[in-house]
Amino acid sequence: MNKSKKSLIVMELVLLAAVILFLYPIFLVLLNSLKSFKEVMTDVTAFPAILHFENYFYVWNNINYPKLFLNNTIVTGLAILGIILFSSLAGFMLSRTKTRLSWVIYIFCISPMLIPFQTIMITLIKFLNIIKLPNNIWGLGTLYWGFAAPTAIFMYHGFVKSIPREIDESALVDGASTLRMFYSIIFPLLKPITSTIIIIDVMWVWNDFLLPLIFLNGTKESKTLTLAAYTFIGQYVTDWQYTMTAIVLAVIPSILFFILMQKNIVKGVTAGAVKG
Amino acid sequence: MFKKGIGKFEYLIYVLPVVVLISFVVYIPFVMSMAYSFTEWNGISKAARFVGIENFKLIFTEDAAFKSSAVFTIKFSVLFILIINVLAVLIAVMLDKKLHSTNILRAGFFIPYILSLVIVGFIWRFIFIQGFQSLGEITNWDMFSWSWLGNAKLAFWSILFVSIWQSIGFYIVIYIAGLQSIPYELIEAAIVDGAGSVRRFFSVTIPLLMPSITSCVFLALTNSIKVFDVIVSLTNGGPGGATTSITYDIYKEAFQNNTYGYGTAKALVLFVAILVITLVQVTFFKSREVEI
Repeated sequence: MNKSKKSLIVMELVLLAAVILFLYPIFLVLLNSLKSFKEVMTDVTAFPAILHFENYFYVWNNINYPKLFLNNTIVTGLAILGIILFSSLAGFMLSRTKTRLSWVIYIFCISPMLIPFQTIMITLIKFLNIIKLPNNIWGLGTLYWGFAAPTAIFMYHGFVKSIPREIDESALVDGASTLRMFYSIIFPLLKPITSTIIIIDVMWVWNDFLLPLIFLNGTKESKTLTLAAYTFIGQYVTDWQYTMTAIVLAVIPSILFFILMQKNIVKGVTAGAVKG
Repeated sequence: MFKKGIGKFEYLIYVLPVVVLISFVVYIPFVMSMAYSFTEWNGISKAARFVGIENFKLIFTEDAAFKSSAVFTIKFSVLFILIINVLAVLIAVMLDKKLHSTNILRAGFFIPYILSLVIVGFIWRFIFIQGFQSLGEITNWDMFSWSWLGNAKLAFWSILFVSIWQSIGFYIVIYIAGLQSIPYELIEAAIVDGAGSVRRFFSVTIPLLMPSITSCVFLALTNSIKVFDVIVSLTNGGPGGATTSITYDIYKEAFQNNTYGYGTAKALVLFVAILVITLVQVTFFKSREVEI
């Protein structure tokens, strides 16, 4: 017994050391974002003589950080709103009506999970030009409504099955119109799966790269945080202190989101992976 | 009972929006892709010239870039799926023991997963180029002076390593959830029967973990076969195209070489490949799960 306890302690220490080593690169990025160019070149692992916060002022203004942050918030917020609104309605209705038509529409809705984005991205851009969807962050946000719908509908569809039918039937008898019934009675019951979908999609939309890259292509006014960091680092390849600062600024929102929502995120991705 | 309560109009309100949205971003472009894959089209001119199955012929006979990107992607996917799942199961089993710092450890492994893959690529570009130089000077270890991004063979392992670093936390979390759902009585029964810890792991834990393994292998497959972002920021497909994946090849074809028609043909080949692999995999793994 004593021996197994000892080995448990040894294992824990090994794991702790492993995690520290695992996260060391992130620490190095933070450290070097506060150094001068010369200090970065001499020794990456050394601490700076003084903290060069001016790196942050420089990059902050150069990439117009507040504007980028706002852009990302708009894209993500708009995307999530539409995803939840449309997918919950469809997932609920398709799950509740057991007709042939509903089954066909359901298969139609979830099949895109098998189509990789790269297969359609080229003609997607062409098609979006034809229908004149504006090449800005608002247009970008609405695109996710369709892209996220298959997974979201799949998850809602499964979850609705676990809600007893009697609940919505009694609401109907009371004479509530279905849309009102949906938002006042059904939607609150979907909360667990809604929060799972929100967590997964926030992490995806906030960090997405390829779709913004090809859709916002070239427009200077509207960029996402990841996209701006990408262009900035492309321009300042060898100015490590600035690229490190850009990286820190780009990942700070994600890290804060993780710290605040850690339990929900872990629960959300687990539920999403097992059901998705 | 319920069906009587809703009319056709209400049904439409619920269902029509997603049908339209999905058609716009997936089905219409998909059908267009099929049409354009039989053409020569530079994306700018209105007219695309019909060339029949010429594009597909080219892909499978003459295109060396496609062949090398396919080999890269297959090699990458197989190793990614194997390594990340083995490591994640092992770490998850350790974290599942009653440790004081389980939560901190789990969070630590999970952190890279919340970062954008492009940014992760940049972080490691810095470490491989600048960080390794300093670490080499401090430790005098040979490996730090190797050209991890400039040498074709090493660059492959760099991409693989960074991809695993970024997402292993995700797989660990799923496996921990899977382990926690294994009833302790079964482990106990195996102990009573005199099974050692290695035996218990292979004869009790792994079979009961099969549903999680199915999910994780499936997710690892769909993610690795589409590897793109990390490559863009870490190696840019280089050196000499050695780390160009199929998706990156398709991207270059369309958005850098302006050979849109040819690019869509490649994209369709990718789709068919993924479809076949997915179907095979789902049927294979579903037959291996055990019921408690």
